[in-house]
Amino acid sequence: MSCTHENKPDVIEVPITINRRWPEEGHTRIPAWIYTDPAVYKKEMDIFFAGDTWNYVGLECEVPEVGSYKRQWIGDRPVIMVRNEEGEINVIENRCAHKGAQICWQNTGKVKDFTCPYHQWNYDLDGNLQGIPFRRGALGKGGMPKDFDLKKFGITRLRTVNRGGSIWATFSETAPDFETYCGEEVLAEIDHMLPGKKLRLLGYSRQLIPSNWKMYLENLKDPYHATLLHSFYITFGLWRADSKSECIPTGGGAHSVMVSHNEGKKKTEATAEMERFRDDLQILDAETVTPRAEFNRGRVGGAWVFPAAQFGIQANSLKTRHVIPRGPDAHELVFTYYGYEDDDEDMTRLRLKHANLLGPAGFVSMDDSEMLKQVQTGIAGYPESVSVVEMGGRDTEPADYMVSEVLIRAFYQYYREAMGL
Amino acid sequence: MNAALDWNHMSTLRTALRDFYDDYGTCLDDWNLEGWVGFFTDDCHYRVISHENKQANLPLGLIYCMNKNMLLDRVTAIRETTMYEPRMLRHFISGVHINSIEDDVIRAQANFMVTEALSDQEPTVNLVGQYQDIIIRTEEGFKLQYRDCVYDNYRIRNSLIIPV
Amino acid sequence: MTDTLNWVAVGAPAEISPDTGTLRVVVEGEAVCLYKLEDGSIHATQDRCSHGNASLAEGYIEDGMIECPLHQGCFDIRTGEAVSAPCKVPIRVYPIKIENDVIYVSGESA
Repeated sequence: MSCTHENKPDVIEVPITINRRWPEEGHTRIPAWIYTDPAVYKKEMDIFFAGDTWNYVGLECEVPEVGSYKRQWIGDRPVIMVRNEEGEINVIENRCAHKGAQICWQNTGKVKDFTCPYHQWNYDLDGNLQGIPFRRGALGKGGMPKDFDLKKFGITRLRTVNRGGSIWATFSETAPDFETYCGEEVLAEIDHMLPGKKLRLLGYSRQLIPSNWKMYLENLKDPYHATLLHSFYITFGLWRADSKSECIPTGGGAHSVMVSHNEGKKKTEATAEMERFRDDLQILDAETVTPRAEFNRGRVGGAWVFPAAQFGIQANSLKTRHVIPRGPDAHELVFTYYGYEDDDEDMTRLRLKHANLLGPAGFVSMDDSEMLKQVQTGIAGYPESVSVVEMGGRDTEPADYMVSEVLIRAFYQYYREAMGL
Repeated sequence: MNAALDWNHMSTLRTALRDFYDDYGTCLDDWNLEGWVGFFTDDCHYRVISHENKQANLPLGLIYCMNKNMLLDRVTAIRETTMYEPRMLRHFISGVHINSIEDDVIRAQANFMVTEALSDQEPTVNLVGQYQDIIIRTEEGFKLQYRDCVYDNYRIRNSLIIPV
Repeated sequence: MTDTLNWVAVGAPAEISPDTGTLRVVVEGEAVCLYKLEDGSIHATQDRCSHGNASLAEGYIEDGMIECPLHQGCFDIRTGEAVSAPCKVPIRVYPIKIENDVIYVSGESA
């Protein structure tokens, strides 16, 4: 599907000037101003979210019926995901073609068509403008010009793709096809989690993290911290530094795939070293940390699909993560949890139990949101300061171990080129 | 039954329930997590869930304990493993309302508001919502068999460190 | 045949506006739109568009269709059928008769 209206997405005519220089060491260094500079933020919103990228919008099961819609954002641009009369899923701008008001004012709903409350301009579920009040005028006076062509003033519809029930969209006519964009490794992770089975929505978790959106991206490309910050993992022997694992940068460094193999609670040299391993602490409800074998046994991980989505499995918890930037110093993190329609009651219970590890009250995730706030606060006063990411070396090649910052280095190698920094 | 007696009974019950709700709030305000577990029955359900999810019949909770062991595990995890910035949390509970009584099973609700004061920020309204409860009258007093903390917030302000 | 319909007098054909070809009246609490077509025939349908809160009496007649002023969806005046988007649900048609230069509309279905 392509944009079918003359009312095309904004073309950025005014170049954004960023008078900054990256540290000369290159991708082993991260300058703090990328987390605070408004011009950097604006350029990111344009080239990453409105450029040649595919952006996660939602899951098919969120809009089950004709006219079901969900409100969403791609970067800072509000959009609507809606199921049309033919059962296809559209992604359209959440912006009336008339004066720009948001059409959808709720997170979810169901409509026959879209009517903007301001002047009642009416659109069908594909975004086509169907009618305008007083088009012929009133009492013989006024009205729109005779040559006013409704076809030119619809709501912009984005190119979309439905991959196994996940919906992606791009504002760009020139973005490559979705498979090419993702690459083999990322696609394999998405397909692994969405094998074409009918999905069942379990619910959302939303939080506002007071840090730049890229800090979350880095956090999910940083297996180095997993066993050091997340005591829950190490205390209950769920993830050890010597676990078999892989870190694979792809898409030139924009995407990444991370896999780790859990092996249950065992005391080895590596765990004995970790200060916080506690033999005396047991989880009373064993199910909370014991997955039922579903895919590959004991495999945790997933893919970061640039710019802002993560697909990953945590025990039996299936979820997507989506980042919505809210200015340079905050981002919204949304988890969408799902199961399959053929899940039995036990499996659903496990999926809900394992979700206790994630999100704003998650045994593991809480550490991250707390930490990211500290990083943003720390660098905010020192925008000229520089972070160093040399764990695992200085290269950007795939690694077969976890204690590495290679995925972050590879990302900034990509980032610098894309941003012209 | 005498109408005046009825009124007295309800009023007394409601007062007792208000005390129970306040004691619960104070317990958490004091970070007495171990004491918090004592408010529940063994076969309890405790969930912190958004209004968004609850209204759409989606079961996902940010905190979802399906029995007392999970409450205890959550306390262990917070005490032993969670990394978080220190803060003061304070409950303001009001609007206690009894929806039905059947023998010793009381269905009740109340509004909650929790403020949060971090060490470098002014207090904020952190979480607002409604407790939706099934309370059992036992020999040891009231016990929560079911509590859904249904919050109005569109999103959580960063993290939710302790139960609500 | 016995006439069992409950007829309500609503006005004279001359009261239907020569400009718009429509007249809005109220029959037993319901808003009804009267139409006078080019061939002189008189018709009646519900006045409220089935798509939105609009009065069809403020609409535009063309080729036996009434175009709703709100979003330009059309209905067949004779049958009430919705013939163009965004209108999908048909509108109610009322039986009428004219006696002694007075239009009568029945609130019951024909």
